[in-house]
Amino acid sequence: MIGRDYLGEFEHIIVLALLRLQDRAYGVTVRQEIQLRTRREVSIGAVYATLDRLEAKGYVKSHRGDPTPARGGRSKRFFRVTAKGMAAVNRAQRALQSLTEGLDLIGSYS
Amino acid sequence: MNPQLDSVQPPRLAVWLVTLFAPAEQAEVILGDLLEEFSHLASSTGTASARGWYWRQTLRTLAHLTGSGFRTAPWLTVAAVLLGFLLMRFAFRLPEQAIMAVLDRYQVYDHHFDVYKFWISDGIVIGLVFLSTLIGCIVAVVAKGREMTATMALGFIRAALGVIGAVMMVVLYEHNWTLWPMLHQFAFAIATVVGGVIVRTWRLAATARRSAA
Repeated sequence: MIGRDYLGEFEHIIVLALLRLQDRAYGVTVRQEIQLRTRREVSIGAVYATLDRLEAKGYVKSHRGDPTPARGGRSKRFFRVTAKGMAAVNRAQRALQSLTEGLDLIGSYS
Repeated sequence: MNPQLDSVQPPRLAVWLVTLFAPAEQAEVILGDLLEEFSHLASSTGTASARGWYWRQTLRTLAHLTGSGFRTAPWLTVAAVLLGFLLMRFAFRLPEQAIMAVLDRYQVYDHHFDVYKFWISDGIVIGLVFLSTLIGCIVAVVAKGREMTATMALGFIRAALGVIGAVMMVVLYEHNWTLWPMLHQFAFAIATVVGGVIVRTWRLAATARRSAA
């Protein structure tokens, strides 16, 4: 039993986006990556609300970059997945694989 | 980059709203991200489309900021809203009592009936708007860092109760349906949120002064 120590759907998506982006992961790139891959428009507020929750759970860590003129002198906040976050995403992936094993999802709905 | 596009700025009201709702550090990062994407969109799809995108992002972001404001300190927010609710409950008749006392003291009814009529109707409503703003300020002071979440919750409860009250008056007591009592309740709800805006703006200005010093 893992209690509340699990990834919600959007948390799962965000962690996967962070893993894809690696050291380029900050608000803009995470939002765009999700939009590109899932074709769903997300707000920057939703991204940060989820990233803050993931950071509180210890699944991600953040650090500030330098302020840039393109951002009106404001800094970026970069994120990376922690070992605990990696374990959580692996657990979620295994659970999904186990649940979808043997299902013909595409065939059932086409 | 096109120098004309450099001067294209995102909607100031939207920027102000993000500053109001987000904690100072988060506001800086969110506004930076929004500006970065806004600039790209303005150069690729045009200013009008970029402004529309900025507004859509802002409104959806405000909803998330309000939610996370509550989630990060639920008890403090609930306590602040409860305090505001109790203040509203017990201080609601104060403006009326104060106005009546002044009107009686100066015998306005006998000498200036029009003035008396104004104060006994609109004057009380104006007094209640001021009282609601004051209560909003108190709630915002208590809900430090979650001023907008707390005052918006209180304002929403107040507006909802106003609508329920107006419907009950019609259904249970067969009063004639009038819009005014409900509009008054909405005005009090907005005044409560304005109290939150005042305290939040004052705190932001104080933080900016400290950073500059």
